[in-house]
Amino acid sequence: LKVSTGCHSYQEFVTKLPSGLVIASLENYSPASRIGVFVKAGCRYESLENQGVTHLLRLAANLTTKGASAFRICRGVEAVGGSLGVTSSRENMMYSVDCLRDHIDTVMEYLINVTTAPEFRPWEVSDLTPRVRVDKALAAQNPQVGVIEALHEAAYKNALSNSLFCPDYMVGHVNADHMHNFIENNFTSARMALVGLGVDHRVLKQVGEQFLNIRSGVGATGSKAQYRGGEVREHNGSSLVHSAVVSEGAAVGTDEAMAFSVLQHILGAGPHIKRGSNSTSKLTQGIAKATADPFDASAFNANYSDSGLFGIYTISQSAAAGDVINAAIGQVKAAAGGVSEADLTCAKTQLKAEYLMSLESSEGLLDAMGSQALAGGTYHTPEAVLQKIDSVSATSVANAAKKFVLGKKSMASSGNLIKTPFVDEI
Amino acid sequence: MASRAPAATGRLLLGFRKWYYNAAGFNKIGLMRDDTIHEDSDVKEALRRLPERVYNDRMFRLKRAIDLSMKHTILPKEQWTKYGEDVRYLEPYLKEVIRERKEMEEWSKK
Repeated sequence: LKVSTGCHSYQEFVTKLPSGLVIASLENYSPASRIGVFVKAGCRYESLENQGVTHLLRLAANLTTKGASAFRICRGVEAVGGSLGVTSSRENMMYSVDCLRDHIDTVMEYLINVTTAPEFRPWEVSDLTPRVRVDKALAAQNPQVGVIEALHEAAYKNALSNSLFCPDYMVGHVNADHMHNFIENNFTSARMALVGLGVDHRVLKQVGEQFLNIRSGVGATGSKAQYRGGEVREHNGSSLVHSAVVSEGAAVGTDEAMAFSVLQHILGAGPHIKRGSNSTSKLTQGIAKATADPFDASAFNANYSDSGLFGIYTISQSAAAGDVINAAIGQVKAAAGGVSEADLTCAKTQLKAEYLMSLESSEGLLDAMGSQALAGGTYHTPEAVLQKIDSVSATSVANAAKKFVLGKKSMASSGNLIKTPFVDEI
Repeated sequence: MASRAPAATGRLLLGFRKWYYNAAGFNKIGLMRDDTIHEDSDVKEALRRLPERVYNDRMFRLKRAIDLSMKHTILPKEQWTKYGEDVRYLEPYLKEVIRERKEMEEWSKK
């Protein structure tokens, strides 16, 4: 073990226990510590019988456990000024606690309780139903959420097609048994990672060995995501049309994924200056020639462990939707023909900046460490990632764009779809 | 009430308890002890937590007892609740509710 004396050194430690649990820590000399338990238990691991169970699990993070009642968890975490939260994506669930360095033992106890020994008392689980409804209502306020969920449903046959939110028919019908079974099958040591910022690695290792090996093994293996390429259209009264057109992209960690990320920044990955002209975004420049109405367009890039999605996401006025989408696709086709060195360098710089800025906050850093620990059991330093970004060549970016142009497309649209083309008309 | 007897006078106390149970009389209209418990806020919360089958059985027994009381009759002797059959179904839930309430009160005192 490397212990720093005098000059502060920021050394990451990663250990893999025999049970399969990965432990990673970074001493960042911050007064506040943050610990996360990452589990490969996202909504892709839901089966057809228990759709929505991960949504309930997200909401059940504060319920009674074998060691502490719900009330005690809430008050206990509040008493030390910490916070306990849970985030889940399609692949992973992340339970995290943060508090001042001195009180880390208290909150760590609650964290371990929540992740390994929840009781899911039937009345507490049924009391979650109104919260599920509130979550869904809030998500419905945001058209992007609907389009992205629909996009995944259209693009995949299984696993990744599952929604992050509980489907309507399961609201009120996900019970404690579903949740216990899901935990038994998915919250196993080999699929978990314990990550800490500002915590001693030996402490984490001890906690991992003693408490996080209750369920050993790999649990139920998830199914491989099968891309199918479909279309979902939601016609409603909104005057703004949100539309996403994608085709299969690259899996996380591959060189191709890096090329797709660079391509995403060439095309435009969101504005860099508020109310600016977005001059570095090829999509924005191209679409501005096709329509005078307000619009927004960015490249959509998602990477999962065995698949990915890449394409464009456009928001346009309903009458101009067809023009906007076709102009956007045209820009990607142009990129497939070749990208200039200037654009490539600009995009690489933007990608590097975005990556480094995401590591600036402790949530972002914990998330990055945890996802990497789960995916590969190692941690890639920012320098290594920057080198990978630099090594992306113009040909690999052009090939990535070609893959999109030639691949089978999936599409999801919502709004007044009168002028929105179908996926085979693009 | 009837759960803290020393083992020494076991048989005598058991006989007394059975006599008291039958003298109380609610078993003659088919009720169990937990059906007759006074419904304060703790009991209401514990009832809310009962599993569906247990709750439905309780409702049936209460309905039957109300019906008998309206007709001013009692059940035939074979159908009276026996002392051995009387299950304290509400007790674990009630204990948990009271424990949680006490925990909340402890925390509020701090």
